[in-house]
Amino acid sequence: MQPVISYQSVSFSYQWPDASVQDAAGRESLERAMVLRDVTLDVLPGERLGILGPNGGGKSTLLKLTLGLLQGHKGQILVCGMPPREARRAGRIGYVPQKIEAELGSPLTVLQVVRMAASISLPAWKGLSAEANKHVLECLNVVGAAALADRSIGELSGGQVQRVMIARALAPRPAVLLLDEPTVGIDVVGQQQFAELLSSLRAWLGVTIVVVSHDLRTVAAGCDRVACLSRTLHAHTDPRGLTPEVLGEVFRHDVAAIFGDVHVHAHPASECAHHHDANHMHDAKHTPVLNVAGEQLESRAATDRPRGEPGR
Amino acid sequence: MKTLEYLLESPELYLPGCVAGVLVGATCALLSVIVSLKRLAFIGQGISHAAFGGMGFAAIAGLATMSSGIAATTSIAQFGIVFSFCIAAALLVGLVSGRRSGRSRTHADTAIGVVLVASMALGSILGSMSRGGVIWESFLFGSLLATGWTEVGLAAICGTGVLLTLLALRRQIMFWTFDEPAAEAFGVDCERVRVVVLILLTVATVTAMKLAGVVLATALLVLPGATALRLSSRLAPVLVWSLMIALAGVAIGMVLSFELNWAPGSCIVLALTALFAGSWLITSTGSAPAQRA
Repeated sequence: MQPVISYQSVSFSYQWPDASVQDAAGRESLERAMVLRDVTLDVLPGERLGILGPNGGGKSTLLKLTLGLLQGHKGQILVCGMPPREARRAGRIGYVPQKIEAELGSPLTVLQVVRMAASISLPAWKGLSAEANKHVLECLNVVGAAALADRSIGELSGGQVQRVMIARALAPRPAVLLLDEPTVGIDVVGQQQFAELLSSLRAWLGVTIVVVSHDLRTVAAGCDRVACLSRTLHAHTDPRGLTPEVLGEVFRHDVAAIFGDVHVHAHPASECAHHHDANHMHDAKHTPVLNVAGEQLESRAATDRPRGEPGR
Repeated sequence: MKTLEYLLESPELYLPGCVAGVLVGATCALLSVIVSLKRLAFIGQGISHAAFGGMGFAAIAGLATMSSGIAATTSIAQFGIVFSFCIAAALLVGLVSGRRSGRSRTHADTAIGVVLVASMALGSILGSMSRGGVIWESFLFGSLLATGWTEVGLAAICGTGVLLTLLALRRQIMFWTFDEPAAEAFGVDCERVRVVVLILLTVATVTAMKLAGVVLATALLVLPGATALRLSSRLAPVLVWSLMIALAGVAIGMVLSFELNWAPGSCIVLALTALFAGSWLITSTGSAPAQRA
C-alpha cells in the first residue's frame, strides 16, 4: 500500500552547517539548531494520525515542509508520490490553518468561500461543473454547515468558521487533510464534537487525516496512531501506547532545551485533577507530564483567549 | 445650468473630461473593493505621490504641460514617464515589504512613507530645475480642460486592461483578498497576485490622475469600495454599489465643478465623501438598535 505521505529521514535546519565549520563544537551547536532530525514516518491511506509535540518541537515546520511552503530539507518527502509543492498545486492536500486570519468582513457567503477553494485551479473561463457543485454542498453537509451556506462569513461564530474552513479544505478533493492545532480555544464539549466530526469525515469521504497538536486530548481522541515529535520522532504508536514515560520523554526535551535537564516531578494532586478532569487518557490522574512540560499550562492560557472572533 | 451650457456649446473642450471621468470611475470602483478589504489605501497614496518624481522628469524633458490642446504624443509620453515612475515605486514597495523577503525589517507602511516623501522632494527639485516648470495646482487637483481625447483613449485602454486582468485572475485575487495566510496552501501564488494588484492600482491611479489630480486620485480607489462595503455584505451587490457610487460621485462632482468653477478632483472627492458619510449614517442608525440589544 503506497503511503499518502512518506517522510524518509527528513531533517531540517534554518541554517545548515556549511563546509567551513570544521570543529566539533561548532558542528554540535548547529546540530542543536536543527529543527527536525531524521524523521521517518509513513501516513497510510485512510488512517487518522495524530502528531503530538511541544511548542518548538518542529510540528509547524513539518507541516510547512509537507505543504511545500518551506524548502531546503534533507531526506525525502513525498505526498501521493509527488514532491510537496506539486502535490499542493494539484490540490492533493487539504489544509486547515491554526488561526483564522481570513478577512471576515469580506462580502462572501459560506458557499462562496467553499466554492472558491473548489474552483481555484480551474482556468478563468471555466465554471464549476454540476458534479463539483454537488461535492461542495456535500462538504458543507458533512461538517454540519449546510444550513449556513447562504450566510455571510462574517456572521458566523468562531466554531462555525472553523467548520467552514474544514469544508473549504475538503472542497478540492484532497487525498489528505492536514489540521494544524484544530482545538486551540475550543472547550471540552467542543473538542468532543470535533473528534466526532473528524470520525464522520473519514467514514464519509475515506480521507486520510493528520492532526497536529500540542494538546494530548486532541490527538488521543479518535486517532489510530500517534507520532510524538520533539525535533525527532520519539514514539509512534496507537494512543494507548502513550504512557507517562513516552510523554515524559517527548515533553522533557522541550523543557530541557529551555531550563537544562529537568527531572519530571508530580504536581500536587489538586492541580492535576483540575487539569485532567476531562482528559481522555486512561491514567490521566497520575500523569504528571503535562504540567511538568510547562506545555499544558501554556495551552490553557491559549485556550482562554477567544478564538478569532469575527472582527466587526 | 452652466453644465449643459458648457457641454452643448463647446463639447470639444468639456466632453472628453466627462467621458474620461466615467471610465476612470468605473475602473477604480472595482479595485476599490479590494483596496478597502486588503487595507491598501496607503499604498495607493504612495503610488500616486511617486507621480511627483515622474512629473519632475517629464518637466526636465519639457513634457510637463497640463494645458489643453497639447499634442497626443506629448500626452502619451507624459503618461508613460509618470506611469513608469509609479510602477517602479509600487514594485519597490512590494519588494521591500513582500512576504517572500522573510521577516523584513521594513514594514510596507514605512516603505511607503519613505517612497512618498522622497519622490515628492525629487519632483519639486526637478520641476524647479526645468525651464517651463510644472503647474503644480492642476497636477495636484486635476483639470477638466487638460483632459483631451488622448486621455480618454488611454483611460479606455487602461480600464479594459484592468477589467480583463481582474476577470482572468478573479479567483486568485478573491482568495488572496479573503485569506492571504492560507491562500498559498491552496495553490495561490500570493506573491504574483500581490504584484499584479499593485500594478493594477498603479494603472488606475495614473489614469485617474489627469482628471482628479495626484492628491485626490487615490480617493477614487478607496471611497466607492468603502461605501459599498457598508451597504451590503454580498459580493455582487457590493460590486454594483461600488460602481454606482463611483459614477454618481464623478457625475455630481463634475456638475459641481462646472457650476461653481471648482477643481473637478476636489468636487468629485467631496461628492464621494458625502456619499460615504450618507451610507455611514444610514447603516449606523439602522443597526443601532440591534447593537444595543
